[in-house]
Amino acid sequence: MPVLQAILDGLLVGGVYAVISIGLTLVYGVMGIVNFAQAEFLTIGMFVAWFAWALLGIDPVLAAPLSFAVAFAIGWIVQGQLIARVLKAPSVAQIFLTVGILIVIENGSLLLFGSQFRSVTTVYQTMSLTFGPLFISVPYLIAFAMSLACGIALWRFMRSSWFGRAMRATAQNPVAAQLMGIDTALMYKIAFALGVGLTAFGGAVILPYVTVFPGVGGQFVVLMFTVVVLGGLGSVAGAVAGGLAVGVIQALSSLVFPIQLQNLVLFIVFILVLAIRPQGLVGASR
Amino acid sequence: MKRWIVVASVVGVASLLPLALDARGYWIRVLTFTLLFAAMAQAWNIVGGLANQLSLGHAAFFGIGAYTSTILLVKFGITPWLGMLAGGALGALAALVIAIPTMRLQGHYFALATLAFSEVMRVIANVWTSLTGGPGGLSVPFLPPSLGAYSFKLLRPHAYIALIALIVVTVIFEITRRGAMGYRLRAIKENAAAAEVIGIDTTKVKMHAAVLSGALMAMLGTLYAQIAVFFDPDTVFGVASISIRIALIAIIGGVGTAIGPILGACFIIPLEEVMNDLLSSRAAGLSQLVFGIILIAVILWRPRGFVTVIELLRAKPTGRVSL
Repeated sequence: MPVLQAILDGLLVGGVYAVISIGLTLVYGVMGIVNFAQAEFLTIGMFVAWFAWALLGIDPVLAAPLSFAVAFAIGWIVQGQLIARVLKAPSVAQIFLTVGILIVIENGSLLLFGSQFRSVTTVYQTMSLTFGPLFISVPYLIAFAMSLACGIALWRFMRSSWFGRAMRATAQNPVAAQLMGIDTALMYKIAFALGVGLTAFGGAVILPYVTVFPGVGGQFVVLMFTVVVLGGLGSVAGAVAGGLAVGVIQALSSLVFPIQLQNLVLFIVFILVLAIRPQGLVGASR
Repeated sequence: MKRWIVVASVVGVASLLPLALDARGYWIRVLTFTLLFAAMAQAWNIVGGLANQLSLGHAAFFGIGAYTSTILLVKFGITPWLGMLAGGALGALAALVIAIPTMRLQGHYFALATLAFSEVMRVIANVWTSLTGGPGGLSVPFLPPSLGAYSFKLLRPHAYIALIALIVVTVIFEITRRGAMGYRLRAIKENAAAAEVIGIDTTKVKMHAAVLSGALMAMLGTLYAQIAVFFDPDTVFGVASISIRIALIAIIGGVGTAIGPILGACFIIPLEEVMNDLLSSRAAGLSQLVFGIILIAVILWRPRGFVTVIELLRAKPTGRVSL
């Protein structure tokens, strides 16, 4: 029964992992850039939601769209002013530009907000639902539901809207897309802003059960990369599968190993996947 | 010929500097760490610059070196000099182990895999308390000062050892760059498929570079342990404190050149020390923030590093750019 409980918890938490990681895979899929600073937008999303809660009394989960909007705006500027300049540069420039952005955001938030841990209190924080022998934590469930809604909205956007189709066309062949009258630079901005916005959204919905501090994003870096590499870097559907898988792996490994080793299992899975199937377990091409 | 005069005079000045600085003072510490970090960035440069394999996990080898020599010293009383050799061997072995699954990976994937590997090492060092002391860290016991015991009362001998290490690593880098291996690595960097076609065993060549780099990095870890006297897993296996920092030093100075890591370290380490000294109590994170901004600025405006500034200066009188 603890195994079933762990799988359930893993799936709920994994749904959120999927949403925070989709941005990473979206940016890679559309422009071939791995954004090492992606997890910092989780920190931004969490801080926005925390301040919305502390100053305005808004529930962090309801503040998620606000987190999305703030990160979207920052992402728009970052893409237009910084990332756009290295799109054709060697990978050393791409990697270390995003590493530079990571350092700036992490230490900028340390400078602005200090190193203390901040958490929110909500009425549903400690509630749980009982289904026979199984428990469902209410904050997990809410975060999962919000992530699901966000994921469906993104899927609709990518499938049905003109922008979504134009973005997928840009990912497939930027030159051909440009010849068809698509402003690829605009598509890159939308993709990047949307990607970091989703990660920030995920940051807001986990705030009821994760405390925020400037280094919180750093704790999610390898996790996010594991998610997208499991699903195949560049594949959005893969990221969803990868997110759920990582959630379950984490929950199951916590049954067997002490808490300090929980990440170790994740790292080893990550290295193994990179070594054996770098195109991802799902194997979808971008 | 002129080049040798420049090199000789730089080495001459560098070897006099420890004598000129107050042996108990603050600046000799800055100098020692500048030399050490220049050597570390140079070791990274063998893989990151010559082979163009951008490692974000060199802290793994550095930490292995620091822990190996210190554990041997604490538990068995073995001199850090021998511990350094043992650490170098383990560093080479670790580089080999991680190279086997990752060498086929390129660019982003390689950076990610090496990052994860160093995180694995950090977690292990934190958890294996009986061997490493866990998160509480490890202290290097103080022995009666002597060269044989690698123990000194003042920092001056440490500065000289770091200087020698920098010279050794730089010479190894330069020999590698100019030798057959350097040509092979450059061929792989330019076009891996073409390099394969003309008969270069690309995996083997990259593996050689990785093992050499890992071994040197581990040996420098021993130097760090002896200078710092205390360290914990998060410092020596740190992604930001070691892996990213040395890559940043090499990139800011000029990646793939022998002078690059030295220029980078002479800029970054003193700046960091001064900023931490002046501001840190009031504004945590400010010095790191400034580094992030410098890194972004260098990549956008001087993607090949400060080295290009020297090239510009040199090009002026003759009117051509020399490389």
